[in-house]
Parts: sequence; C-alpha cells; structure tokens
Amino acid sequence: MIFFTQKINPSEIKVYRVGLVLGFFVLIVLPLMVQSNDYILQVFTHALLLASLALAWNFLGVSGSISLGHAAFFGVGAYTSALLSLDQALSPWFTIPVAGLLATGLGLIMGLICLRLRGAYFALATLAFVEVPRVITDNWDALTRGSLGLVGISGLPTLRLGDWYVDFGSSITASYYLVFVYSFALLGLVAFVFRSNMGLAFQAIREEEIAAEAVGIQTNRYRLFCLLISAFFTGISGACYAHLVRYIEPSLVYGLHFSAIPMIFAVCGGRFTILGPALAAIVLYPVDQFIFHPLLPAGHEFLYGAILVLAVLFIPDGFLGRRQNA
Amino acid sequence: MWTTIFISGISLGSFYVLVALGFALIFGVTRNFNLAHGDLLVLAGYSAYWLWKAWAFPFVFTFPFAILVILLVSLGLQRLFSRLRDPIELNSIVLSFGVAILIQNSMLFFFSGNYRLIRVPILSQGIRISGFYVSYSQLTLLLLSLVTIGTLYMLMYRTYLGKALRATIQDKDAAALAGINVAAMGTLSFCIGAVLIGLAGPLYGCIHYLYPSTGHEATLLAITITIFAGVGRLNGILLAGWILGLAESLTVVLCGASWREMVSAVLLLTLLAFRPHGLLGKGEG
Amino acid sequence: MTLLQLKSLSKTFNDCCALSNIDFTVSEGEIIGLVGPNGAGKTTLFNLICGRHRPSSGNILFNGIDITDLKPHSICRLGISRTFQSSRPFPQMSTLKNVLVGHIFSKGFSLHTTPDDVQIAKELLEIVGIAHKADIPAGQLTLSEQRRLDLARALATRPKLLLLDEVAAGFSPVLVKQAIQLINRVRERGVTLLIIDHFLNLSLKVSDRLLALDHGEKIAEGPPHTVMRNRDVLQAYLGLRHQDEEDM
Repeated sequence: MIFFTQKINPSEIKVYRVGLVLGFFVLIVLPLMVQSNDYILQVFTHALLLASLALAWNFLGVSGSISLGHAAFFGVGAYTSALLSLDQALSPWFTIPVAGLLATGLGLIMGLICLRLRGAYFALATLAFVEVPRVITDNWDALTRGSLGLVGISGLPTLRLGDWYVDFGSSITASYYLVFVYSFALLGLVAFVFRSNMGLAFQAIREEEIAAEAVGIQTNRYRLFCLLISAFFTGISGACYAHLVRYIEPSLVYGLHFSAIPMIFAVCGGRFTILGPALAAIVLYPVDQFIFHPLLPAGHEFLYGAILVLAVLFIPDGFLGRRQNA
Repeated sequence: MWTTIFISGISLGSFYVLVALGFALIFGVTRNFNLAHGDLLVLAGYSAYWLWKAWAFPFVFTFPFAILVILLVSLGLQRLFSRLRDPIELNSIVLSFGVAILIQNSMLFFFSGNYRLIRVPILSQGIRISGFYVSYSQLTLLLLSLVTIGTLYMLMYRTYLGKALRATIQDKDAAALAGINVAAMGTLSFCIGAVLIGLAGPLYGCIHYLYPSTGHEATLLAITITIFAGVGRLNGILLAGWILGLAESLTVVLCGASWREMVSAVLLLTLLAFRPHGLLGKGEG
Repeated sequence: MTLLQLKSLSKTFNDCCALSNIDFTVSEGEIIGLVGPNGAGKTTLFNLICGRHRPSSGNILFNGIDITDLKPHSICRLGISRTFQSSRPFPQMSTLKNVLVGHIFSKGFSLHTTPDDVQIAKELLEIVGIAHKADIPAGQLTLSEQRRLDLARALATRPKLLLLDEVAAGFSPVLVKQAIQLINRVRERGVTLLIIDHFLNLSLKVSDRLLALDHGEKIAEGPPHTVMRNRDVLQAYLGLRHQDEEDM
C-alpha cells in the first residue's frame, strides 16, 4: 500500500498537489454538481465541520499534547449557543462566538488542572475531564433540560447587508457554504500560525521541552495558548453543529465520538502538519458514510478504530507527516 | 441506611478491584495503558450472554468461555502493543483507544445497541445477616474478589514467578539483566488480566445492562484505581477499589444516581493534579 | 567584574543532599572548570543556576540580579545559556533550524524569521564547524556533531555566561584539541565560561580557575595546578592509601 510507506516518493508529491487543487475546486462547486441530492451535500457539510474540529484539535496536538476529552469544549459550545439562541432569542451570529468564549473559559480550567502533566498522564486527565461538564449538563435540568436534550434549535444565521440577505439556515446549500467558508478560514489561520515563529516554538516544545525552555521559549505559556485557541475553535464548531442539526443531547455532544474523531483525523492525517487533519476529515468521513455505512449500518465506525491502529503502528506522524527525504 | 451504603459500597468496590487488577498488572509490567480494558469487560459479558442465551448453557459455564474469548483477544492485543515505539505509555493510550473503537463496533454489529441482561434468578435473592439484607450477587462479588485477590497475592508474593513479575514491575532493565524473560512476563500479565476480566465479565452482565458503549466507564474506573493505588503497585488496589465503591454509593444516596459517573472522574483529576504517582506511591522529587 | 555569585547554595532531593552550602564567585571573562567525581553535584549546580530546579536554600546573583527563583526561559533571556550532558538537539529539525530557534526566542517576540536571522545561524554553524550539515535533521548527527550543535544553539542566545556540561566527554585527544580551540574562540566573543569536566582532559588545559566538588560540598577552588595538588581533591578522585596519608 503506497500510502502507508514511511517515505514519500517524489511522484507521489505531484499527484498529491494536483489532487489538492482538484479537490478544492470540487468542494466549491459541489452543490451544483449534486443538484438533486441533499444527502450528499449534508455529508460533505458534516465532513467540513469535522475538518474544522480536527484543525481545532490539532492546535493543541501540534504542541505535543494529546487530548482525549475535547468533546468537553464541543459540548459546552453546542449547549451555550443553543441555549442562548433558544431561551434568549439571540442571533447565532452572537451566540456562536460567545459559545467559543465559554469553551475557552473551560479550556482555562482544564489548563490549570491538566497542563502540569505531560504525555500519557495529560491524556488520561483529559479523558476524565470531559465527564465533568457532561454530567453537570445532564443533571442541571432547569438550565439544560437534562438528558432529554434540546430540540428546535434555530438554524444557521442570516446575513443581512442592506436589502440583500442570505439565510444560511434555510437550505442545505447555504449551510454548506457557511461551513465551507468557516473551515477554510480556520485552515488559513492554522497555516499562518504554524508557518510563523510560533510554529517553530511548538515544534521545539514537542521535540525537546527542556531544551526549548533553555533557549528562552516560555513553554508553559505556549502550551496554554495552544489549549485556549484549540478550545475556542472547538467550541465554535460545537455551536455550528448545534445550529446545523438543530437537536443536541449531553451524551451526544459530550460523547466519546466527538472526542475521538478529531484526534483520529489529526493523528492519521498528520498531527504536526497544517493540512493533515482537514484532509483526513474530508476523505475519511465521506468514505465512512457512503461506503461503510450502507454495508454495515451497525458498526461502520470500526473504520476509525482501524485507521487509528494502523496509523499508530505504521505511520505515527500521520499520512502527511511522513518523512520527505529518501 | 449507612449499613446499606457500606454493604453496597464494599461489594461494588470489590467488583471494581477485580476489574482494575488486570489493568494495573498489565500497566505495571509492560507500561502499556490499555484503554480497551473496559470494552474487554463488556465483551466478556456479551460472550457470557451469548453462551447463556443462544446456547442455553447454565450460567457457571459462561465463566470459562468468557475467559477463553478474552484470552484470545488479549493475546492478539499484546502482539499489537509489542510493536509500539517510545513513548510507550502515550502510544499505548492512542493504540488502545483505537482498539476500543474496534471492539465496540464489533459488539454493536453482533449484538446491536439494545440493552442486554443475563438473568440469573438466584443472584437477585439474598439473605439477612443480623437484620441487614445482602443480595447473593453482592456476596458473590465480594467473595469472588477476595478469593481472586488472595490467589493473586499468593502468586505474586509466594512464588518465584510472582517474584519475577514484581521485579519486572519495579525495573524492567534490571529484571532483564537478572535473567528474567521480560517479554514472557508481559505476556503473562496480559493472560492474568484476561482471566480476571473473564471472571468479572459474566458477573457484570448480570448486575449491569450490557450495551456496546458502556465499557468506557469501566476503563475510567480501572485507571482511577490504578493511579490511586500508585502507578505500578498492586498493594493499594483493594483499598482504592473499596474507597471508590464507597464514594460512589455515598454519592448515589446523597446526590442521586445520575451523579455517580462523575465520582471517578473527579477523583482521577484530583489525583493527577496533585499526585500523579498515586497516594501510596512515592511523590515527585 | 563579578558576573555570577553563588551564596550558600544548597539542594536536597528527597532527603538526599545533592549540594550543601556552595559559595563561589565568577568574574567576567573567566573560564572556570567545575570538577569532581561522579555524583559530586556538578550537573545539579548547573540545573540550579539555569532555573531547572529551585535551590533548597541560598541565592544566586547574576550581574547583581537575584535569579534564584526564575524560570529557565527568563534566565536565558538574562544572558545565561547551557549545553546538556547528553545532548538535546531538536531531532526532527534541521541543524540550521536548531540554531535558529536559539537565536529567535532569546530576544523579544518576533512573528517571522528574517533572512538576517538565518544568516546569523549559518555563521554560528561555521564557527562550530558543522555548516556542511545545515540541512540534515539534527537527530542524524554524530555525537561530536550534536555536542557542537548544542554549543552553537547555546551561543545563538547571545549569552554572557555559558555553562558547558561535559562537552568533551568521550573525546579522543584530537577532538579535545578541537574543543579547546572552540572554547577559546567562544571566549574571544566575550563569553564567560563555566565548564563541567569530569574527566579533566579539557578543564585542566583551558581553565583560569577550578572549583572542585565532592559529595555536594566545595572542597577546593583556585588555579588548576594548586587545586589538583589539593589533598582532598586527590582523595576524592584517586583515593589515598593509609601510608600516603601518614606521609602527608
């Protein structure tokens, strides 16, 4: 299998570059291509949202920390935006960023408790951490309707410029484009940050933390920064999710699924790359939905487990992280 | 009321000990965290359920069967773990996370998401001891755990093999230099862990509804107890399990059943934040 | 001009006393050799100076500033750098990038790397003699090259005081000679040096003064030939037979 070799060969790079450009254009014109098929559009909308989730997760992953509890931020984001727009009738243009901020606040708490830990112990701490907001949300019936979940959440918001407006919640196509713009904007931000000196600092921290400190890098600050940014965008993605599917419940948005998926996409796509997590999401999720789901209605998500196991054993740096020199 | 809490806490805690022992042993010897541990427990439960339901075997026969199933799966798992590179602890977490998803989805495929339960009528009956009611399932849990812990203790502290295991737990390299086959010790720890899960699984299927995603909770319990007792040490597991069991029983009575799931999480977070090497282990220099 | 002052410095790890009551002063421009047998506390002393561990008691003053409780990155910004006993390059980064990292983060925050930064990094690689391996991942360098990379990276932070930990351990006489040349070049740049040398093959030839430690205590200080004749130092390194003691 050429994709699982340790070294990339030069011809592969060419194919890859062409594929990227092609893929980008396909994504732009996708709604036109699949005029009659709402389902395909929904799947790709979801794939793009998961791409943004994976990119957000990777903001933390790039500094060397592996979080298994990011659903904490996803869930907080989803619930904050849903509740504010439901109970206070506020526009999602407002509630989504606020959701991101609240998720960041939770990230600060996680940072205070967990960032003193490294490696395996940090991962275990995040595994435990997510249970706290989950159980609280599940039980605080008065605020969150508890385990019944929230229904009838408003759709994605409307953009008004003078007389012209577009309601992103009104059609699948409109929602698709909003999520598309969001995920590509996030991708742009990731590219900017990772290519700057900050990216250099992240690499130094994850490769040799002690040496990084010895040359003047404030490792604790950088790691906290990564966690907060990661939490912020994960919260935003969670909020978008709430307005996209318009129904959420604690066991779903705080569940293992949304903790595992971004981690798996990032690890398999390339934890230390810019594009890796997004690429993995856009490729794997549709594969799961279009190919495996019809074959195995129950248990099709084994794909994610399988790909994670293969990645850890054979390409630990991820598909795009494979070494370039022969 | 306090006695009921005590009884249920101790029996629940004993069950947790049974679950955590395998996890702790495997970690101590091989430094692998097995996040699929809880899912293996559920798999054992499902295996027992299948034998009991589809083949109408009496309940006692489900124990050896479950042990066999989990032994096979564990040995396969160990082959995967042995291929991991440094840092082993972190990589084992990620690997076993993936394996857990695989196991969960297999169970989903074979058994669907419906809740399953093994009904063993005698276990829901009980006896009265000086005015307090204890169910047979609670007694079984307590007795089974104590017998298992006793046997494991005998193995670890009274046999040469146990000495070799303890040596490997303390210092892998030194043990290897002393002539101990460290790889074999690893395999042995996986086997012992599998036997323990195989014993706990069928019981789990009686006292708890079986559904594919319930393993995660058990894994978290195992992690908490292992870290509570001191990473790599087995002595404190009994105490740790009982404390956790009591804490959960207390929470259920005082705050309600739905808060129970947070107890182990909060405990684990507190431990990791302040003493990652366990309450009974040595602190960081 | 006093650059570094150690005042009654002590460090205990879990009831194990690694250092006790170290008093020492380093003047600007000096090269100090820190000697002593295994376990004497030399690397611990470095770790205390660089902020990796906190002293149990005592103070460290650098240029008059109390740096006792500062973190490693702050201490680096103030002008103290170090190399490590087992070299710690950033393995996946190229050699050039390793040095670049040292250069960029020791000054204030800058968002992007400039061509000037790259030029400075290249020059440092030239000075230590590994410029031909600029694009190779640092993890693939030989031991001697990694040590030199450590040095280049430490120099990139523009230190006033440089702590070298066992820079010549395991070196053949040829390599030791090269190391001495390198150290002199560093000194010419105006850097004060504190060198740990367990094997004595380097520090005796290059140091102005020696500080000898044994079991965490200072047992001698002074010019190399004086310290190496000191009875306690000889006993620590070589052991004395009863007869020799009587003779003395």
